[in-house]
Amino acid sequence: MVAEIGPSNIETAFILEALGKGLRVDGRGIYDYRALRILCGPAPGMVEVQLGQTRVLARVTCEVTRPSADRPTEGTVQFSSELGTLAAPNLDRSVAQEVAIARMIERVIRQSRAVDTEALCIMAGEQVWAVRVDLHFLDHCGNLVDAACIAAVAALRHFRRPDVTVDGDRAVIHDPRERNPVPLSIHHTPVCVSFAFMGAQGELVVVDPEVREEMVQQAAFTVTMNAHKEVCALNKAGGVALDPAMIHRCTQIATTKAAEIIDMIDAALKAAAAASSN
Amino acid sequence: MARPDRRDTDQLRALTSVLGQLSRADGSAHFASGDTSVVCGVYGPVEAKLFDERLDRAHVEVKLRPDVGTPGTKDKWLEAAVRQTFERHILGHLHPRTLVQVSVQVRQDAGSLDACAINAAMLALVDAGVPLATMVAAATCAVLEDGRVVADPVAEEVEGARSVHTFAFAEGRPAEPVYVDSRGTFDMPEYDACYGVCAAAVGRVLAFMRSAIESKVTRESQVAGA
Repeated sequence: MVAEIGPSNIETAFILEALGKGLRVDGRGIYDYRALRILCGPAPGMVEVQLGQTRVLARVTCEVTRPSADRPTEGTVQFSSELGTLAAPNLDRSVAQEVAIARMIERVIRQSRAVDTEALCIMAGEQVWAVRVDLHFLDHCGNLVDAACIAAVAALRHFRRPDVTVDGDRAVIHDPRERNPVPLSIHHTPVCVSFAFMGAQGELVVVDPEVREEMVQQAAFTVTMNAHKEVCALNKAGGVALDPAMIHRCTQIATTKAAEIIDMIDAALKAAAAASSN
Repeated sequence: MARPDRRDTDQLRALTSVLGQLSRADGSAHFASGDTSVVCGVYGPVEAKLFDERLDRAHVEVKLRPDVGTPGTKDKWLEAAVRQTFERHILGHLHPRTLVQVSVQVRQDAGSLDACAINAAMLALVDAGVPLATMVAAATCAVLEDGRVVADPVAEEVEGARSVHTFAFAEGRPAEPVYVDSRGTFDMPEYDACYGVCAAAVGRVLAFMRSAIESKVTRESQVAGA
């Protein structure tokens, strides 16, 4: 397999020098997010997100299973995100990155309790819905985490599960053609905003790093926020140390970016709903 | 009885394609037949792993990922089908000791997935500029319970079908199928009928592919000229 060769010394020097003057390799401002497009459908729970050239496809599906013994009244939400060979030529074996993204998304959505798992219960101890989110990375041009997170939450909100009626000790699952499927119960919409720190001490900071910037970064930092301006998760795994003032500043930037992203998700879902009702 | 989507028996679903939409892959194609849609990316010729290296030709590797869940037996089987279809038509001897990596990502399976995967891989290989001997396209048809032969069946039709057949042909050679897959119970006249329907359908798919490639090349040459 082709090993990914990082940028050359000249390229690295160029990226850093330009950044010192406030210029980025793709011509953006340092706090600019790339153009975001969210395409919903045609199937429920199918959302493709394009963040610049980065593309992620999310598919949400569900099935009926038995709940675990210690949580008899809760359904499950499972994430699967594998970096296939499609997104970039060397990704076949970059397990570390894959695990990092999967963990991040899982933490953001599951531990912030974005999906109401108790609403996924059909009959306590007997039957619950197991929701599965498949994330497919189509094109890796940097910042997969943000794109994957947007795709996952948008797909969960776009998804419709079959309606169920419980009659005594019998549950009837209605065919989607027979009765309109119902949306999942979603408490809030957490979205990630990633920052990359470059330079020897990480003094150069950018929002939404693209792939070349990710290669020269000294540290990555991801803030997860929702529309209520609540911080749902912070993630900084390794790299240079950051001072608290910087983290505070990043969080403030993330607040405005997250609000913009959530507005775009809402708009995309509304457009999809309008298109399907026609 | 009308078909679920009110098509004629030999009518294909609307074909759509986008070439070169992925920036990392050397060539890529998004191919959709109605709601069944597939994205395919090709890297190649690139450096091969020592184990895969062939001294006299390029090694062709196909990876297929399903839309939902982890790859299973069915996906591995389709992977092999795509590889076998193209292995003979890629001029591998021009790039010995290299790898041509074809990654197929299913976006949605609404019936006739195998034909869609082959067609997407074909367009992606062309887009990547991998030397090929010819163009190949595939089409699926099904023999329904009442004996009707329908082209490009949707998932609902495949479920209730007596047999399902997929054929792939090289351009201009309707007498020599390069890929045949038949499932279910059928007799020879039914098989022959399916052969005829698919051969005609493949002709239309090839014409569609040709126009898709032409329009992309025209667009690119205009950009280059401007």
